[in-house]
Amino acid sequence: MLNSDFAFSQFHHLQRLLLVHGRWSYNRMCKFLSYFFYKNFTFTLVHFWYAFFNGFSAQTVYETWFITCYNLVYTSLPVLGMSLFDQDVNDTWSLRFPELYEPGQDNLYFNKKEFVKCLMQGIYSSFVLFFVPMGTLCNTERNDGKDISDYQSFSLVVQTSLIWVVTMQIALRTTYWTIINHIFIWGSLGFYFCMSLFLYSDGLCLAFPDVFQFLGVVRNTMNQPQMLLSIILSVVLCMLPMIGYQFLKPLFWPISVDKVFDRIQACRLPRQSPAKTRLKHSSSRRCAYAFSHEHGFGALITSGKTMKFRMSKKRTLFQKGRGPREIPKEAVSARSPTHAT
Amino acid sequence: MEEMPQHRLSRLPDNSALKQQKLPAHRLHFTTTRVLFVFFTTGIFCLCMGIILMLSARRTQEIEINYTRTCANCAKLRETASNFDKECTCSIPFYLSEKMKGKVYMYYKLHGFHQNLYRYIRSRSNRQLVGKDVKAVENCYPFKTSNNDTPIVPCGAIANSMFNDTIILSYNINSSVQIKVPMLKTGLTWWTDKYIKFQNPSLKNLADEFRGTTKPPNWPNPIYELDKKDPRNNGFLNEDLIVWMRTAAFPTFKKLYGRLNQTHHFIEGLPAGSYSFNITYNFPVTRFQGEKSVVLSTLTWCGGNSLFLGLAYTVTGATALLAAFAMKAIHMMLKNKQMSFFHQ
Repeated sequence: MLNSDFAFSQFHHLQRLLLVHGRWSYNRMCKFLSYFFYKNFTFTLVHFWYAFFNGFSAQTVYETWFITCYNLVYTSLPVLGMSLFDQDVNDTWSLRFPELYEPGQDNLYFNKKEFVKCLMQGIYSSFVLFFVPMGTLCNTERNDGKDISDYQSFSLVVQTSLIWVVTMQIALRTTYWTIINHIFIWGSLGFYFCMSLFLYSDGLCLAFPDVFQFLGVVRNTMNQPQMLLSIILSVVLCMLPMIGYQFLKPLFWPISVDKVFDRIQACRLPRQSPAKTRLKHSSSRRCAYAFSHEHGFGALITSGKTMKFRMSKKRTLFQKGRGPREIPKEAVSARSPTHAT
Repeated sequence: MEEMPQHRLSRLPDNSALKQQKLPAHRLHFTTTRVLFVFFTTGIFCLCMGIILMLSARRTQEIEINYTRTCANCAKLRETASNFDKECTCSIPFYLSEKMKGKVYMYYKLHGFHQNLYRYIRSRSNRQLVGKDVKAVENCYPFKTSNNDTPIVPCGAIANSMFNDTIILSYNINSSVQIKVPMLKTGLTWWTDKYIKFQNPSLKNLADEFRGTTKPPNWPNPIYELDKKDPRNNGFLNEDLIVWMRTAAFPTFKKLYGRLNQTHHFIEGLPAGSYSFNITYNFPVTRFQGEKSVVLSTLTWCGGNSLFLGLAYTVTGATALLAAFAMKAIHMMLKNKQMSFFHQ
């Protein structure tokens, strides 16, 4: 479905290519795209809000080195990790439930509507990321009376809030956490702090005073409680609506695969993928009884008859107590070469 | 099964967990319980934090006196640039109904002054301010050199537009005796600004060091004569200059002008009574519809008397708790529709 060219030697490889790797690839691509657009909208639209306060003079909110490093080092690795390793269900379940392939066919996970949702989310996040630090710093001082409402402190707070928000967002969107994902995500966050300390350190700023101008900002700003509270509030305001939406979406706007995911969740307890032998004895595990004696639906898919029999297949899979007589004759009689899946 | 030829085997991807997409991992699951837990705890935390912040903001005291137009006819006088050498002073009385306890800080506040303009922020030379090279004026357009090509010290639009009003606070002990409230002009800046970012060329005679340079056009005195009373407060280490050079993020800002010296009558702060500000009005703001005021303020652990953070936290906490209850209700209503788990 994503227009790639593959060459493989045996037809039965097609099943795994489509149902497992093709499906994962589509999911990862859509997640990657929606996250990437979101992160860049959030980053850029802060300047739209700031324009109203700086006389429309195109003064950037962030420091120049942050702008250079943002897409390059602070946010590239986590999204790379998600794009390489993310799996919504593992390969066994992908093969068991070919219906999971449908969102790709229906262009469900990234289309114009999803893009507009990214845009709206980016606008909202940028609004929060600008106005919460602005409200905090506008009329405040440090607790020893000295300045905290200056441009450099404001810049640092917005930068740090932004990095935390986009990191928490990618952490929320990554469903399959390998050790590499952990390293990429928490490592990028740690790297941001190390880079900030380095770029704003005395040595570098004194060596190149006109290039590195933010001397001492981290030390003087980050020990103030109102700055940390502002960052926490920005993160909370950006993340809670997203979590709430993720919770409510399958309840109010379910899509076809939501039922399949529920089914898989039910089968996962206790935490074992169902072996073929067990399901014959368990009557409550409706999900996989139909496969207890089948080779699989590989032949059916490759023969092109899947579309016609889709409706009847669904009825068979999700109804109680039906015998194998309901399976279409073609599937029973088709011979697909056995292979370990 | 026949053995595959060697060259075919070499094309197979490795059977490692990484390349076969079988790395050990744990899945992120947002079950209903966890989501509701997150919402409840966040709501409670934000609500408590908001109440604490609002209570502490209420405990501060602040007085702001806008003297843009109430200072004799100084505003009109300063609108014409040729009146620059005419001094204009005034005295603005006010009354403190409550004693200001503890440390009191005096600020000057400007409205409508955009220190965050792009070309304004760029117009400075940090090389010059760090004392490396007093003649380095590259980025300081349009205030690089004077008419006869002498470099300006300190160069740039930020330094040139420095706030130059003098504000003296006086206290009326009784109807006839007025004393000056002792204010400290030290300790107004960040430590890193005063000792690292801004340094004088050397400890020798500053006038010699700055020979061959000239003052910015809007300044009355050159940089080595900024503070005639305290010789250490001259050159680039002048605290008012350092405070001004830390450009503000928004068009309305206040900058520290002085700290109360807690001695004699003012050991516990500013007693209640009548005071007055004696102001030498030099900084023209009416030409760009700006305003200026003096602010006296006490502070707490989280800054001044801004209620924004407290309100925002309270509202967020309340909304999160309401959302948690709503989601719990929705979930219980839909529970019997076989939606026991939801997926990520």
